[in-house]
Amino acid sequence: MGMAQKKLKTQNSKLKTSMKHFLWLPFFIIIFFFKISPSFAESSYVLPYPSAMPGSVFYKLNLIKEEILKYWYFGDFGQFHFNLKQSDKYLVEAKTLFDYKQYFLANTALQKSDRYFEKIYPNLLLAHKNGKNISEKERILKNAAQKHLEELTKIRNRVPSVFEWTPEKGRPTKLNLWENFDGSIKLRQKRL
Amino acid sequence: MRIPSVVFIATLILFSIFTYAFVDANLSYFSIFYTGYYSTHRIFLALLYAILIAILFGCFYFFIKNTDKLRLDLNKIIGLVVLATIISYPAALAFDIFNYMTTAKALFFYQENPYIIYPIEFINDPYLEFTRAANKTALYGHFWIILSGIPYFVGIGNFILTLFSFKAFIALFYIGTVYLINKMDKNAVIFFALNPLVIVEILVSSHNDIVMVFFALLSFYFFFKKRYGFSAMAIIGSILIKFATLFLVPIFTAMLKDRLIGKKINQGKAYVYCAIFMFLIFLVSPFREELYPWYAIWFIPFTALLYKNRFLQNLVLVFSFGLMLRYIPYMVTGSYFGPTPIIRNILMITPVLMFLIYYWLRVLFQRS
Repeated sequence: MGMAQKKLKTQNSKLKTSMKHFLWLPFFIIIFFFKISPSFAESSYVLPYPSAMPGSVFYKLNLIKEEILKYWYFGDFGQFHFNLKQSDKYLVEAKTLFDYKQYFLANTALQKSDRYFEKIYPNLLLAHKNGKNISEKERILKNAAQKHLEELTKIRNRVPSVFEWTPEKGRPTKLNLWENFDGSIKLRQKRL
Repeated sequence: MRIPSVVFIATLILFSIFTYAFVDANLSYFSIFYTGYYSTHRIFLALLYAILIAILFGCFYFFIKNTDKLRLDLNKIIGLVVLATIISYPAALAFDIFNYMTTAKALFFYQENPYIIYPIEFINDPYLEFTRAANKTALYGHFWIILSGIPYFVGIGNFILTLFSFKAFIALFYIGTVYLINKMDKNAVIFFALNPLVIVEILVSSHNDIVMVFFALLSFYFFFKKRYGFSAMAIIGSILIKFATLFLVPIFTAMLKDRLIGKKINQGKAYVYCAIFMFLIFLVSPFREELYPWYAIWFIPFTALLYKNRFLQNLVLVFSFGLMLRYIPYMVTGSYFGPTPIIRNILMITPVLMFLIYYWLRVLFQRS
């Protein structure tokens, strides 16, 4: 009996010691949630992989494909998809080129992305006018705008405010990169 | 001799009425016909289906066995077959007709590209309540999408009118195909026109495979009439409906080569190759989705033209019957999973195996 009680006591003390270890658990959980909480703000919207870059033959082919696809994606929803797709594609292109410090090409890609982004909402308004339910598309556009903003903010912090680009046989051009970024950001913020 | 014809037509009328037991609960336009029997009387309906199909195939066997004696008035019997089935509910065995209508609506009503925009993107559209595969873009060729505009506009925006316009439109291609086969070879027509699989899948379920087959046959018709431009246009049209007839292009190329070198074209041989090629594409179809009974329409017209081969015709008849039995497991269980796929295949193969064993035994007895 005595032996059994002793065994029980040792087991209880072991349990208490292991419980002490678990006291850390809520603390870890709180830390974990605090740590991951900023990620809740991130958009679940997925941008495409970078495709061919300027200078490549495939890039020129893609430009032709883009012109053809513009007509293939007819209709209000079709144009919504087309413009959003192109805006995403050129944003990714700009991001890649900025990473490689190809500021002139990157800036051009960003402007293209802006031009396509600008055309998205008018197509949705047209779809609404034509009796189509646009609630889901508005949600997609909001998510896309959020994702674009995340990326634009990240890139803006990495690039110089002004860049002077000098072509091989031409006059230098001053690129107001931050100013352009602010314009792009403003454009997306309207759709949040 | 008139009795089998009367039984055949009467069974088709019964079959048309039977299809209304499967009216979808979500199909508000047909709520007056909704009984819910397909979920409450599963075994009874499956049994009734098996009986009706067996009677139809029994009559069909009688027709092809006694074609010479019967001297059927083709126009009259085709007219009656169409009239008996045009009233049927087309989504009892498959839901493709709703898909055709929704795709046509995406293009002609919403003015969107159905190859890009999914039907589910048209939130709150009433067709979404009963359209299967609403999460898929257009599955068919461009020519079909354009053609589907005809029944769509005839329907003037009314669902029931549009549904029956699609049925009538498909029925016209059935009549056209029968007419073409009759032109190509009078003796072949009954095997195609009165095959219960063809009637059920085309005139009841309204599958667009008949449109593809019509243009393929039209292409052969023009080719043998030496109108090659029309022939080429017809085969391109056929391919742009459902792509399966792309497998006929090598046969056309070979025939063209023979014609160019002045060699006489053997039409019978061409039909044999067509039947083989279309049967092969039928066999590989499960790799894409599954073996649907209506895919048999791809090769049946060509086997009809090979009517001199009695063994082949009987084999196709038995196989058609087996294919129609594939619907039974789902009717009984209401599920596409579990034992359904395997039972389907067993039901499909059994009549063919029984026929082959019977044929083999008959040959053995004859020899002994």
